[in-house]
Amino acid sequence: MSQAAEQIIHVNGLNKSFLGIKALDNIQFDLYPGEVHALMGENGAGKSTFMKILMGLMVPDSGTINFNGELIENMDVHTMLQKGISMIHQEILMVPELTVAQNIFLGREIKQGYWVNEQQINQRSQDLLNLIGLDLDVRTKAKNLSIAELQLIEIAKAISNHAKVIIMDEPTSALSDKESAMLFEIIKDLKSKGVAIIYISHKLEEIFQIADRITVLRDGKFIITKNTNELNKNSLISLMVGREIKNLFSADSRVPGEVILKVQGLAKKGKFSDINFEVHAREVLGIAGLMGAGRTEIARAIFGLDKTDSGEIILKGKKIEIRTPKDAIEIGIGYVSEDRKSLGFIPELSVIENISLSSLRNYSKGWFIQTKNETKASSQMAGDLKIKAASLKQKVINLSGGNQQKVVIAKVLLASPSLIILDEPTRGIDIGAKHEIYKLINQLANNGLAVIIISSELPEILGMSDRILVLSKGKQTAILTKQEATQEKIMHYAVH
Amino acid sequence: MQYINSIRQYGLFIVFGIICLLISLITPQFLTVSNWTIIVTQVSINALLAFGVTFVIITGGIDLSLGSIVAVTGVTSAMLAHPDTYPVLLPIFMGLLAGLLMGAFNGFIITKSKIAPFIVTLGTMTIGRGLALILSDGRPVSNLSDSFNYLGSGTVLGIPVLILIFILVFALCSIILNKTILGRYIYAVGGNEQAARASGINIDRVKLAVYSISGLLAGLAGILLASRINTGQPNAGAGFELDAIAAVVIGGTSTSGGRGSMAGTLIGVLLIGVINNGLDLLNVTSYYQQVVMGIIIIGAVVLDSLNQKSNS
Amino acid sequence: MKYSYLILIILVALFAGCNQSTNSEKSKANKIVIGISMLSMQNEFIVNINDEMQKKAQELGAELIIVDAERSPLKQIEQIESFIAQKVDVIILNPCEYEASSPAVTKALAAGIPIVNVNSATKIAPTAFVGSNDLESGRIAMRFIADQLGGKGNVVMIQGLNGQAAQIQRELGAKEILKEYPELKLIAQQTAEWDRSKSMDLMQNWIQSYGAKINAVFAHNDEMGLGAVKALQDAGMKDKVIVVSIDAIADALQAVKKGHLDATVFQDARKQGAGAIETAVKIAQGKQFEKELLIPFKLLTKEDVDSYLK
Repeated sequence: MSQAAEQIIHVNGLNKSFLGIKALDNIQFDLYPGEVHALMGENGAGKSTFMKILMGLMVPDSGTINFNGELIENMDVHTMLQKGISMIHQEILMVPELTVAQNIFLGREIKQGYWVNEQQINQRSQDLLNLIGLDLDVRTKAKNLSIAELQLIEIAKAISNHAKVIIMDEPTSALSDKESAMLFEIIKDLKSKGVAIIYISHKLEEIFQIADRITVLRDGKFIITKNTNELNKNSLISLMVGREIKNLFSADSRVPGEVILKVQGLAKKGKFSDINFEVHAREVLGIAGLMGAGRTEIARAIFGLDKTDSGEIILKGKKIEIRTPKDAIEIGIGYVSEDRKSLGFIPELSVIENISLSSLRNYSKGWFIQTKNETKASSQMAGDLKIKAASLKQKVINLSGGNQQKVVIAKVLLASPSLIILDEPTRGIDIGAKHEIYKLINQLANNGLAVIIISSELPEILGMSDRILVLSKGKQTAILTKQEATQEKIMHYAVH
Repeated sequence: MQYINSIRQYGLFIVFGIICLLISLITPQFLTVSNWTIIVTQVSINALLAFGVTFVIITGGIDLSLGSIVAVTGVTSAMLAHPDTYPVLLPIFMGLLAGLLMGAFNGFIITKSKIAPFIVTLGTMTIGRGLALILSDGRPVSNLSDSFNYLGSGTVLGIPVLILIFILVFALCSIILNKTILGRYIYAVGGNEQAARASGINIDRVKLAVYSISGLLAGLAGILLASRINTGQPNAGAGFELDAIAAVVIGGTSTSGGRGSMAGTLIGVLLIGVINNGLDLLNVTSYYQQVVMGIIIIGAVVLDSLNQKSNS
Repeated sequence: MKYSYLILIILVALFAGCNQSTNSEKSKANKIVIGISMLSMQNEFIVNINDEMQKKAQELGAELIIVDAERSPLKQIEQIESFIAQKVDVIILNPCEYEASSPAVTKALAAGIPIVNVNSATKIAPTAFVGSNDLESGRIAMRFIADQLGGKGNVVMIQGLNGQAAQIQRELGAKEILKEYPELKLIAQQTAEWDRSKSMDLMQNWIQSYGAKINAVFAHNDEMGLGAVKALQDAGMKDKVIVVSIDAIADALQAVKKGHLDATVFQDARKQGAGAIETAVKIAQGKQFEKELLIPFKLLTKEDVDSYLK
């Protein structure tokens, strides 16, 4: 696959600026039929701008795109769609009240006179799902499906569009390992049919597993395109960040202190049952398990977001009752949600205002906020966590994912918790920010905090945790020490 | 956030300034102290409602019961304000209490039942209208004491009492929104209710507070209206809630919550007042007045959404 | 638990409703039943008509079913339909609008139920009409102004809700008189939607633009007349400007007595209400009745207001 004539997409010298700032600077890119081409780079490297141009959602300032050797004159959505370029979005765009089949054929319904031929739509949708190995009734409404299922349906939709190029933006961010494996099978199948895939992900493991070639962007510039087997993780990371990051996890050895949290017989019908564990000061407890094993549900219950049916929560030797997050925060439990957007920050408030939100009473006199004290405390926390923003008065919605996550962590920390629960703390953030968050977690544990970390990424769990609690279908199946834990062991207990 | 807000309000100020300039070019009477005294007096009732509902709208809610609360409190206070009956503080107190209770009722039902504020306050609107008619027997309550009427038409040092109350309430509301914990929580709840809850904010209490404030200020508006026209009218205030909401929207507060300011609402209220006054001065028929007002409301929201896009 | 409050409220409301309907059901047997649809029970004048009708009905032993159309012609038509279904003996209609309420009359006549219009007219002629001619009230008010000013001066007119029969008729009546006096000029006219505070705002604005040029104000109803009086008083101009309005509600009579309002045109709610019931009963009993019972207007000034004050 080296002859230029074979290229399905050939991009030459693409430039795009916003308000004088170069978002894309002379981008070169080739895509061949039947290859998986990973597009790598930190947030802000220009990946999404580039993809928007490929989708026809944005017009470049200069540069050309050839499709099957032919120069594309009008780079608009309609043309690109007609050429067969489809994108699987990070955020799922489906109408919740419509069925799976109706969603797949949305906007191009099969008609019979004035009526939609539901039967045929259902039949053809079912065929598509069978093709990608998804066992699901196509008459189910979209609102009743998991994110993973929706994502697979998006792929089915792209296939039904006769896509020649499929762009996948973080397709596994919401998938369990098992579901990811299924996706990779589907990708292999697509490859054999000559479909080209542009794959964007922050998960290095899967890049090396499925990508044929890798293109790295940094600060809007094209850095390099290489065959995957010419790179390894460390060399890829250094290409992406422009410097070397040694030892991503950098876990220190610690001696755990007193028991901070003790959970006994915690249960919630249909979610989890008989959960027993302890977390110590100066310790990181990892919680592993497949999607739906009850990891997040346990965290939510401890934090007072959901009610439990039975069980005890003991904090520093005292039995406590937590009915609302307010109760939890007041007795020293902090929670950083997996769902940053809906449970993490207030988009329209500034960095300072977000950070102080859980501890505003400490920076107030009576009803009045002492703005000076608030700004001082928030700014200091923002500095400690190396939050990067044009100004701390900037709205959080305008920050990058990694910085938003740091703001949420800063908010939780400012309320001075003795236990902090981090649920998928590095989901969807770039490698540089990930590294900083890992360092921070270590630092917190070293300083005496009890930390619980929930993650779908086994390397993260293994790298960060002192002990690992494994869940399977709402039951706890093992607690492993750092020494005895391996990926295989965890998987063994997770599918128990 | 402050920075972007100030640009937005600056834009609104410019629109406001241009409209004032245009009107004053055509009618010289417009830019006189006496005319402006009248404009501010006329908008003061709508202003109180608009300030109150600004809190509600920033939390992402809506209050349609304002007009009915005006009627109930106007009638309630008027019934207690006949000459030589009770001291004037009683009708004022009872009017405020009635407004507060109706607002709290809204807040209570909304937080406990989780029914949309639109529906709940629509219900309260109808209930309130009925209550006002029941209390007054369908007739205006007139023959009010001079001390009660003083509120609506008296002056202190040459400044109408209405304007003084207007300024005082604006200052108080600005302070609540910008300087207090409650104010911050109001933005937080409107910006992202779930995240606010996860940050340890008692959402129900915040909502109860905003609807109560909105009701209380509507109560004050009802008292002042009754005092200004020397009667408590059971059909007073019909449609007032829409004028108030229009002022808030023109002032740049987002109806989806999380964003807005008291200063914006102030300009929105004045803009509506200036246009009504200007068009009356020019003797433009009310048919056109309505069209102009509608265009301005839509224009303000379009301007706002364009602003939002260029900011993000 | 969440919904228990609401359910409670609904239950209470239902109970209250049930009680009322059973009460009115009891004594239906042999009385004449009259279904009445009123324009709006939030208007004092209409409420007065309503009160008189109830008094008269008690006197004559008729049973009334009174409903409020809340100014909606559509609602009014539905109410008439429900009267037809209930098979009332006679219907009294206080129309919301001249054209839009006409179908109510058509339907009643088609169902063979006699219908009496009270206070204002519809395009389709009913069995009988009891009321006053609004054109006349406009004429009376404007003629008063002309007399007071010696046929010379500037007038402003505060109108009712545009497009309603009463507003249109009163405006037309006033303009007829204005034609007779070429030196009497209408310098501004604008709606204040029958509302006192809106009229006050409007008058304030006019005072700003016309100032001392204004010699007289004609307001289409007393509420608005009183609003104008308030604005003029605040501006210290009441002595120089004549204000006249229509309806003679209690507040207006007080104001006339005190000399604040110069005159109000008395529209006799009592006679209209009583007349409507009398006519309806006569029709039901098959007696002779007047097809058009016109109650005359009367101009009330300070001198003759006393006897009308309760």
